[in-house]
Amino acid sequence: MLAFGAALTVGAAGGCGLLDREPDEPPQPDPLLPLADDAVRLAAAHRSAAAEIPERAATLTAIAEAHDAHARELSRIMATPAPSPAASGSAATTTPTAEERIESLRVAEKAAYESAVQACLRTPSHRAPLVGSIAAARATHLEALK
Amino acid sequence: MTGELTAALSAEYAAIFAYGPIGVQLTGAEQAAARAAEAAHRALRDVLVLSLSGTGLPPAAAAYRLPEPVVDRAAALRVAISVEEKTAAVWRAALSATADAQRRQALDALTGCAVRATRWRRFAKTEPITVAFPGKAPA
Repeated sequence: MLAFGAALTVGAAGGCGLLDREPDEPPQPDPLLPLADDAVRLAAAHRSAAAEIPERAATLTAIAEAHDAHARELSRIMATPAPSPAASGSAATTTPTAEERIESLRVAEKAAYESAVQACLRTPSHRAPLVGSIAAARATHLEALK
Repeated sequence: MTGELTAALSAEYAAIFAYGPIGVQLTGAEQAAARAAEAAHRALRDVLVLSLSGTGLPPAAAAYRLPEPVVDRAAALRVAISVEEKTAAVWRAALSATADAQRRQALDALTGCAVRATRWRRFAKTEPITVAFPGKAPA
């Protein structure tokens, strides 16, 4: 998967104290980077499921498009390059049923919602509305996937 | 911070008012959802009243303007969606003015409104049933 994480460099190596830092030390990754990576990954997962579950395609596609929009907005406020589409995951050894695919998406959305809640509580004030909206959207995806 | 929470209190009063006529037009699971939604908004109002005590609380109005007359089931569902979207917008605005426990309260309120709006869109068979940025005005 090529997503946001590939575009940034992680900061100082372990073991260096504050006084040891070089002036040109690479910047720390943006704390919202994991949220953006989740959005890219979830968009790909929902798009893949939409192709395989036609009766749920409208809902799954709408959710995929919401994750795309989240990734774009997070990219904008982090001032990082636009996200690359993620691969839809490794091939499974057995084909899951539609119910199993939906349940797997619900588990992923729930984890992503909880991450977004924690990010919203820690983020600076000017970012809180966007991150809060993303958390709320992920909660609505759980509802929509019932 | 008080201004955003005061706005949230006014929005909660309006939501509680709206669910009266909404519930009258609904039956079965939809009416139960309206009752649950009204209870959720009453709980949010009570928390806000406690938070804002001593700051000059806005009083509840005798009546609030609804987006349209609630004359039948279809109108009730449209108004319910509208109420939740408007209340979500007020709570979203409160996020930037809050921190710690109050931000968590605002986030939970925004999330509750967004999830209820999704349920109402499902009842109304409105597609899509989700929006990308709950609480944000459409571009």
